[in-house]
Amino acid sequence: MVKTVIDDELLQQIELLQMLVKNNVAGMFGGNHKSKTYGSSCEFADYREYAPGDDITKIDWNAYARFEKLYTKLFLDERQMHTRIYIDASNSMGFGKGRKDEQALKIAAAFAYLSVCEMDKVSVYTVKDKQVEAVISGMLGKEAYISSIGNLNNVTFSGDSYISDAIVPSSVGYGDGMSIIISDFLTDNDYEAAIDHLTGKKRHVLCVQVLSKEELHPKARGKMHFFDSEDSGKYYRKNITREIAQAYKKALEYATGRIREYCAARGADYMLVNAEESVNGLFFERLTGEGVLK
Amino acid sequence: MSFLYPLGLLGLLAIPVLIFIYIIKSKYTEQTITSTYLWTLSEKFLKRKNPINKITGIISLILQILAVIFISIALAHPVFVLKGRANDYCFVLDGSGSMNTVQEGSTRFEAGKERIRGIINSAADGSTFTLITTGNVTDTVMKQTEDKKTALRQLDAVEPSFVASDFAGAVSEAQKYFSENPACKFYVITDKTFGAEKNVEVINVGSQANNCALEDVDYAFTVGGGVLVSGKAFAYDGDASVTVELFYDGNGRAVASTDVTLTKGEGAGFTIEWTAGEDESLPQFSSLKVAIKQGDSLRLDNEVILYNTHSDASYSTLIVSETPFFIQTSLLAAFGNLKREVVSPKDYNDEMRGYGLYVFQNFTPEKMPEDGAVWFINPDTGVDGTSGFSVRGVEQFKNAVELKLSTSTSSKVTDLLKHTDKSDTTGVTQYIKCGQFRNFTTLMTCNNDPVVFAGTNAYGNREVVFAIDLVETSDFAMSYNARILTYNLIGYTFPEIVESSSFYCGDSVEINVLANCTAIKVELPSGKAEYLDTSTASVKYKLTEVGEYTVTATVGGILQSVKVYSQLPVAERISGATEASFVLNGEPSTVKRDGKYEDLLYAFIILAVIVAADWMVYCYEQYQLR
Repeated sequence: MVKTVIDDELLQQIELLQMLVKNNVAGMFGGNHKSKTYGSSCEFADYREYAPGDDITKIDWNAYARFEKLYTKLFLDERQMHTRIYIDASNSMGFGKGRKDEQALKIAAAFAYLSVCEMDKVSVYTVKDKQVEAVISGMLGKEAYISSIGNLNNVTFSGDSYISDAIVPSSVGYGDGMSIIISDFLTDNDYEAAIDHLTGKKRHVLCVQVLSKEELHPKARGKMHFFDSEDSGKYYRKNITREIAQAYKKALEYATGRIREYCAARGADYMLVNAEESVNGLFFERLTGEGVLK
Repeated sequence: MSFLYPLGLLGLLAIPVLIFIYIIKSKYTEQTITSTYLWTLSEKFLKRKNPINKITGIISLILQILAVIFISIALAHPVFVLKGRANDYCFVLDGSGSMNTVQEGSTRFEAGKERIRGIINSAADGSTFTLITTGNVTDTVMKQTEDKKTALRQLDAVEPSFVASDFAGAVSEAQKYFSENPACKFYVITDKTFGAEKNVEVINVGSQANNCALEDVDYAFTVGGGVLVSGKAFAYDGDASVTVELFYDGNGRAVASTDVTLTKGEGAGFTIEWTAGEDESLPQFSSLKVAIKQGDSLRLDNEVILYNTHSDASYSTLIVSETPFFIQTSLLAAFGNLKREVVSPKDYNDEMRGYGLYVFQNFTPEKMPEDGAVWFINPDTGVDGTSGFSVRGVEQFKNAVELKLSTSTSSKVTDLLKHTDKSDTTGVTQYIKCGQFRNFTTLMTCNNDPVVFAGTNAYGNREVVFAIDLVETSDFAMSYNARILTYNLIGYTFPEIVESSSFYCGDSVEINVLANCTAIKVELPSGKAEYLDTSTASVKYKLTEVGEYTVTATVGGILQSVKVYSQLPVAERISGATEASFVLNGEPSTVKRDGKYEDLLYAFIILAVIVAADWMVYCYEQYQLR
């Protein structure tokens, strides 16, 4: 499914993009992302006095000539990032004709490919109930991407989801890259704790809120009895008048504003995405415009 | 409250139907959506304090029910009864000629109607209105009409007359109504004053504007070939100086005038003499108009038109004479439209027929024509017994003897000798002494013998005898009276449709139904037309308007028209004239009738429209939101 939606041309264009990770990465393996530690990259960082056992090829002989002391040049280390993508696989994401599930999987696939292109590791998880399930784990390299990305087709959207209860207990890494949460965030359940937890783990957090067109601009009027797709016990029964339609608009602004402000307060990025919006435009216009990608 | 049309309330049956439909259609549409989170959250942003929100769901039904209620009540036409608030009104509106007087831009009659309109409009609903008009006839135009619009419409249609009002008849009508309904309020709207009033309120719409008028206007031809117009001018409410002008044949420019000083209430005689120019022809004029130049508020009596009843006639004549020159050129020329044929006596035979007039000069036929009038001039004998006269000999004189005009005061003599000049003398040296054995009217005599006389022959046709030679043994042909007398006798020979042209409104005109007349049409000054019965010898027609009447008769397929002028009656020229009394006998009652208040109808109509419009706007808004 994903391969048919994200065409080769889009993947080629995504190769040109690069993730801007706010925190320096502290991964185990070398990669394309700068680390706070010194390493073997080409980018000069500092000097220190030579100590026996140091690589003599990094002695700065010009400095010896001037100071008559041996100094060794230090270079920044470049580490590999581990991008973790969490997809809300609750029923609200996959119900009806909203195409939120499809859009969520497209975004996940695109971010995964972008990370793979940067020689980063990629893991894709689904959040169901209070558990995180790995769909793709530690994917590295384009070949692995091609062989693994099809797993997204097997993702099913059902039940409820508790984002914080699922993500916080899981292994989220520390300071080694970006965590992307893709959800509609239309829930009373706690998701703020997850954001706090991830940012506390020095990870760059991006919340992508996917809403369908009907959720953004509802057309329902008159006497309506709405049932909740995730919980049949929840319902809303009203004569939808102009006043109620205006109240819904305010509620939508409140809900999206709340998560936007929460993310901003924690240094996380936030993006509201229409389920019918093109992925191309999302990546090359909005995410680059917001400074998430370059 | 009651309803004029209670069946309209059947519309309320639509309410249970609406409720039933609402219940049937009032199902909630069930739908499963991704999340009810936002909808539930929206409850926090509703303005819960607005009580309208509680009835939002049924606001459409409420509007529909209200619209049905208001429409049903409006259809039923609600009426509130107001006990003892209404009256019966009876108006007696004077439609006499003086009510045509114009004051402040409208006539007194219109002012009177306006006063009645005011009373009707201010009367409580449920009041009744009765209107009696006087004029040509006393007429009850409406009786106890309750609908104001109908009453006003009928009032608008009332027109004034030009004659004196029959107030006695109006009092009689009002008395009958008063006896039936003593609680009725009576109003008399007039410009007259009454010697006595009882149980009525007189609304006087008159004013003290001075009115000038012309009376007794007539004309006579002068010896010099001109015309002398005479008459009297009056000023009824004050002294005045006026200019009286004479107009010829409808010419808009006055040909002569004279100034007259008038004293209030007294007539001042005037004369205007005018000699016709080359282009004008007297006495073949069509009309002479005499008018007061200044005019006044009652213009109907400011002018009089005198019409020539012969001017439009056309007749055929056969002249049997050896010396026809004079009779053709001098005498018969007085009547311009006469078609003439001349034969000598030796060529004449009894088969020459088909003429309106046969003139035998110095010749007597063996047999009288039966199909036309006959003139004998200097006859040598009578015709059997049919001519009505016999010749007894010839009287001759050495010196001329004067012909004398008849001094009889009979109407026929007066009519045939009108406009002749008594001072104009005619002498003869010879005349034919005739004996009359039919009823002739003698117009001129000589030594007490009839010389010029007129009558009817055995066939019922007009006959005129001149027992003199017009040229050789008399100077008759050279006299002024010859022209006038000939003119009058031609008119006598061919009877006119009407004999006179000047009347007063209210007079009856005698219209002659001529031989072979198949139709008579009378056109009134107002433009209306009436057709008269032609089965009798004459018909009387009453003039009811002031101005020019045109009487057109179809005689033998040929149209003959004559005009007469109808003047305003003298009594109607006096402003503020006093009538005898307007007394209604009996004791008035103070019992009032129940009034009505119907204006709520408009409130219900407006409410129905507003609610229906609101419902439609609501529906449109809901549609737009979808």
